[in-house]
Amino acid sequence: MAHEDRLLYEQLADRGVTRRHFLKFCGSVAAMLGLSEAMVPTIAAAVEKAVALKLTPAVWLDGGLCTGCTESTAQSTYPDVAQIVLDILSMNYMETLMYATGESAEAALKETVAKYKGKFIMIYEGAVMTGWDGNALRIAGKPSLEQIMEVAPNAAAILAVGSCAVDGGWVKAYPNPAKAMGIGEYLKSQNVATPVINLPTCPVNPEWIVTMVVDVLLLGKLESGAILKDLDQFGRPKIIFGQTVHDNCPRRGHFENGEFVQQFGSAEEAKNYCLYAMGCKGPQTYTNCPTVRWNNQVSWCVESGSPCIGCGDFDWVDENAPFLDRFRHIGIGQYTETGGYNPAKVAALAGGVVAGALVVHGVGMYAAGRIGEGPPTEEMKDYDRKRAKKGGDS
Amino acid sequence: MATNIVIDPVTRIEGHLRVECEVENGVIKDAWVSGTLFRGMEMVLKGRAPSDAFYVAQRICGVCPISHGHAATMAAEQALEVTIPNGARIVRNIIEAAQYLHSHILWFYTLAALDYIDPGKALEANIANTYALAQQAGTTTSDFKAVQDKLKGLVAGGQLSIFTNGWFNHPAYSQTMPPELALIGVAHYLEALELQAEAARVIAIMGGKFPHFMTSLPGGTAWVPTEEKLDDILFRLIRVRDFVYNTMIPDTLAIAPFYTEALKYGGGHGNFLAWGVFNRESLQMKDRYLPEGAVFAGSLKAEEADPAKIKEYVKRSWFDAGDGGLNPAQGMTNPEFTKYDINGQYSWAKAPRYDGKPMEAGPLSRMLVAYLKGVEPVKKIVDVALAKLGATGKPEVLVSLLGRIAARNLETAVVADWALEWVTELTNALKGGDVKLFEPSTASSGDGAGMWEAPRGALGHWMNVSSGRIANYQICTPSTWNIGGRDDAGVTGVIEQALIGAPCIDTEKPMEAARIVRSFDP
Repeated sequence: MAHEDRLLYEQLADRGVTRRHFLKFCGSVAAMLGLSEAMVPTIAAAVEKAVALKLTPAVWLDGGLCTGCTESTAQSTYPDVAQIVLDILSMNYMETLMYATGESAEAALKETVAKYKGKFIMIYEGAVMTGWDGNALRIAGKPSLEQIMEVAPNAAAILAVGSCAVDGGWVKAYPNPAKAMGIGEYLKSQNVATPVINLPTCPVNPEWIVTMVVDVLLLGKLESGAILKDLDQFGRPKIIFGQTVHDNCPRRGHFENGEFVQQFGSAEEAKNYCLYAMGCKGPQTYTNCPTVRWNNQVSWCVESGSPCIGCGDFDWVDENAPFLDRFRHIGIGQYTETGGYNPAKVAALAGGVVAGALVVHGVGMYAAGRIGEGPPTEEMKDYDRKRAKKGGDS
Repeated sequence: MATNIVIDPVTRIEGHLRVECEVENGVIKDAWVSGTLFRGMEMVLKGRAPSDAFYVAQRICGVCPISHGHAATMAAEQALEVTIPNGARIVRNIIEAAQYLHSHILWFYTLAALDYIDPGKALEANIANTYALAQQAGTTTSDFKAVQDKLKGLVAGGQLSIFTNGWFNHPAYSQTMPPELALIGVAHYLEALELQAEAARVIAIMGGKFPHFMTSLPGGTAWVPTEEKLDDILFRLIRVRDFVYNTMIPDTLAIAPFYTEALKYGGGHGNFLAWGVFNRESLQMKDRYLPEGAVFAGSLKAEEADPAKIKEYVKRSWFDAGDGGLNPAQGMTNPEFTKYDINGQYSWAKAPRYDGKPMEAGPLSRMLVAYLKGVEPVKKIVDVALAKLGATGKPEVLVSLLGRIAARNLETAVVADWALEWVTELTNALKGGDVKLFEPSTASSGDGAGMWEAPRGALGHWMNVSSGRIANYQICTPSTWNIGGRDDAGVTGVIEQALIGAPCIDTEKPMEAARIVRSFDP
């Protein structure tokens, strides 16, 4: 039997992956997809069946990046990064990890695109750098925009990993010196229709990449089109970005009790009180960080004592800074069910920063405002002020 | 006849880099190193709150965000005149140490090892002999058969994934290295992926996540240590230390004898700079565990390092001429792309000089300075390594490709021990009662600098604060010291000079050049 006609499990066995490892992997996938352990055999069967052909070819392109999303992916545990790049995908191009270099590396990319046209997955990390006609980032002696256009139109789907890939991230923050943008926006401007799945946060959480690799690729949801139904209007998987950090925060009880940290290093901080008064952006940030957590689930930002800075938000640096200040007028429950976005942000995305600034809620800080007085802030929200006294009961 | 060769992209590094070399008769005669990405962090930070620099500036590098975070926060603390409590100092030392362990393990195995170990050779290894060799080398064993089967499966499947188009059977690989050592190397390459992640989990426990952490805010730390968490951290760090001593160091010593010719090239200008890292209670730059210092070629003396002696040049980079010749405390960033021209402008990196000289930054600089200043654990471990290399009392042999690699791996061992010491120090402080962790600041104007060391070398952040906002921000990264190109006088940069004189047996596949570039962990 030709290698490519064999089941995934048999191929994995060839690579020294035991049945037990495989089921452990399926178990962690079930947990990430919010399914019960009872679903593990079903997932295992579906994965084996869906990938009867061969390992899915993938290429990982580096844009204007810090390499943090590759680093983050290397922190994945079940499966670990070796399993991702050797047992599940065939990662034929990935600058930070690949054996080949220079022309040999570029040849691997070209061969993959030619051989697997319409069938490979493109993962994009970093911002698209359009400054100086794309010379803000040069790869292989050319503006990197050329590499994007050689690869993206031929991919089956694109995973935009990390906030820079999604919308330019910090690189696009005011004054956006190198004219950075997200891969989705760039491809739209070039009339490339390849579907883009957005996985924001800075860096991306590897658990989300794994979830998408299985959900999208192995379970065949891309071919059936089912995956598009699972995305919100910003191209983000609802299963990951459907609820706020605040919704699932373990410190939520202290918020309800009006028990707030007012100073780092205080007795209240030691009691894990709510960080809302310290500028926490959990109420307006849509990610499942509190449940999935980070680095093999050992912790996450709020658990470590820092307020959430909303790195999974669109325009997160301009929208959310100063990070340790609270915004005036930001209302919990002010967000819509469907997209989880208030009108200010929707307008900012749709009509640019000026429109965003005109919307009443005042959250949509416009870029020019930041360098003057900055966004409107307050020492303490009225709601907190009334209840702050209860916080200091030590 | 001379030919020009190009490596673009240089893979297995952080970020984007292009290297061009002129090769004649199998030797590199000249070299041009080009940083090919400009993002503009310094411009983005202007106008923001000083505390935001901690959160944003660390995102300049996803491999060493801890060091950038610490440099940014120290710059803010100096500008706003706040002194952090002792508890916060120890917490920061542990987080920084965990990043060093993570970064050095990741560099040696994941990024560099494939330049010295031909993974294809591992297929020829005899399993029983592999175990015997591991025992002889004093390194740990793995399930060598499973690893070899995994490799065989990759080859049989015809999908080589990240090994696609690799330089298998390259003549620059040691022709005498037994295939069993290659198999040990591949096995530990896979094992190291778990160990680098374990070190990063220590950062995540104390800083929320890695990469990009949350807690070392100006004034101290937002993390609250508990005995339970310190126990968790301690045992993870012990596991990492065991790997460093029982696997990484023996592996280094087992592979090095096959590449002793790399002691003869790759050294470069021979000037070294370190700002020092890991604070003692005084918090003074002159009083660090790994000390500051500047060492100039031909001298075995560490002079005091003075940030005022830095000037950055831009004649050969894509910046406005007005940005040139300035100290970062008054530095400016005005990008202006022209075209890629090795005879003109060819890089997004400025060319920093110290007292007019190109200086190497990195573990080799730190180890040399510490050795020359007599730092005990460094002196001890470097002397052992020098004896193994047959160069007792001659630290100057470290100024080479192999020396640079050895310095990084030896530093890993020193830091692994210190990390355990600091956890004990913090645990004792906790048992003794109150550990103060944060000191708020009320100042709203001032100038500050955070001089520090990332795993890959000397790092500086400069911040001017006016009315509570950042008026100017400048960063000089270790990679700028190393990848920076020619200065206004035409003197080559650090990696450029390290390449010159190195062999290049296959101009289609310039393995030796790639090794030298990667040895800087740019």
